Amino acid sequence: MPTLSPTGLNQAILDLIAMCVLLLTFVMLGSHWIRNHILAFAAQSWVLALLSAFIGFSGHYPALLVIAGLTLLFRGLILPHLLVRILDRAHLNREFAPVVQSAMSVVMGALCVLLAYGAALRLGQAVTGQSPVTPVMRIGLTSLLAVVLIGFLMLVLRREAVSHLLGLLVIENGIFLGSLILMPGLPLLLEFVVLFDLLLIVVALGMFVRYLRAEIGSTDSRALDRLVG
Amino acid sequence: MRGIMTGDAVFQQVCQVLAVLCLAPLLHGFIVTCREKIARGKGPPILQPYRDLYKLFHKEQLVPETASFIFWIAPIVAFTAVLTVPLLIPVLTNYPLPFSDMGDILGGGLILALAGFFIGLAGLDSSHPYGGLGSSREAMLGILAEPTLIVVFIGITLLDRSMLPFVVNHLLVAEPSVYWSPGHLLLVAAFFILLTVETEHLPIHSDTHHEIYMIGEARLLEYSGPLLGLLKWSSWMKRAILYTIFVNVLTLPWGLSVRGSVPGLLEATGILLSKWALVALLLVMIDSLQSRLRFYRYQEPLALSFLLAILAVIAHQL
Repeated sequence: MPTLSPTGLNQAILDLIAMCVLLLTFVMLGSHWIRNHILAFAAQSWVLALLSAFIGFSGHYPALLVIAGLTLLFRGLILPHLLVRILDRAHLNREFAPVVQSAMSVVMGALCVLLAYGAALRLGQAVTGQSPVTPVMRIGLTSLLAVVLIGFLMLVLRREAVSHLLGLLVIENGIFLGSLILMPGLPLLLEFVVLFDLLLIVVALGMFVRYLRAEIGSTDSRALDRLVG
Repeated sequence: MRGIMTGDAVFQQVCQVLAVLCLAPLLHGFIVTCREKIARGKGPPILQPYRDLYKLFHKEQLVPETASFIFWIAPIVAFTAVLTVPLLIPVLTNYPLPFSDMGDILGGGLILALAGFFIGLAGLDSSHPYGGLGSSREAMLGILAEPTLIVVFIGITLLDRSMLPFVVNHLLVAEPSVYWSPGHLLLVAAFFILLTVETEHLPIHSDTHHEIYMIGEARLLEYSGPLLGLLKWSSWMKRAILYTIFVNVLTLPWGLSVRGSVPGLLEATGILLSKWALVALLLVMIDSLQSRLRFYRYQEPLALSFLLAILAVIAHQL
């Protein structure tokens, strides 16, 4: 398995990019406005594309440059565009009745990051067998687990169907971030499959939102807690 | 030789305290004027706070009948506490002076909290309804801001394995890699939000003098004359101290006097004033451009700064 072993400046840049991704995830978690969530998602995808290109350059993985371009195109432009379209068609603008206040959810997210860091240390030890885990392993595992946990948190705490969709996309972005840092030599084909899956998710959930709106008159997923025969 | 050196150091230390004491009203005047200028008003002259102090100190002292001894000692304790803190932090010189090992950053925070505590007591003391309101609101903000402050201090300690502000200052000047590390930048962001809370620049703070919008100010409604002057002066000094910690320890650690000669101290004072002006302009911009929020949104910026502080600590561990 090819792994990264960056030194000095490169590692600082990795650290910085991972922090940017985490911060943007928190923008999604804390903001009231769904449009902000989508913009933050787009920004996060751009940062991920940057990371991909950076690892491609510094670690000599030409495939990662292609992946960077694809990420920029799909996650950075097409998916946000589709999401904004869903939003505009459904005349949504903000989450009106979140399960907990945004301040509380941000603090919960911070606890998730702590949990992710603790888990990353243990996991890294268990996987590699070295007792001080390498910095790359720490950055990769912590950011992966943190973003995935926050994505789950978004799934649990949000009630709008579009927000659920964003939660799924954030989880996927987190896994992509982790895979970029931890195993940058993944085949290009896999990335193609994932990108088309993402497109499929957005299209399917877009139809779901429209259905919700037509049948129930709102896009609140709470309306789905009863069986209707 | 040694005698001269110590004498010199004591002189420098006195200068540090005097700089904060004498220039804090100027900073306040600058902020008020800037705020008016941004709103296209004319604004009071920049030296108005000095005239206000002069006026207040020449007035008769009135004391409410319901007040106890707390009413008298609170302003004095607050003023003294705030006056102690410039001994501990790099205001003009970038090396520790004789009394700066009395306390570290945590000690400084504790002394400032003591001042806040006594003003809060004074707000409750005369059993005026608005005083109680101000005290309880300020205490609420304090309760939420304090954990973040502690985490920020932990982050600063992790940066350089020391809690002395002078060490942080030297480290940031010497090593740009630490300065630009995400751990440090996130700490700066977290501390900046705390700064807006503590110096009343959050969008929930209001300039209009309606009791219902007041937060910290409402604690002082019963005061008049010299005691009010002391309280106002100490709150301006507290602001100046927090600005100084923000610029000289965390963000702009350059331009402090290295040897402590008189021209060096004067130069450092000038540079300090321009740094204050920079932070003040930034805060006034945020203050004026952001629309007012209702008071009950206060948890959000504080939660954000807590998050940033936690991320800073994690980023440092990575």
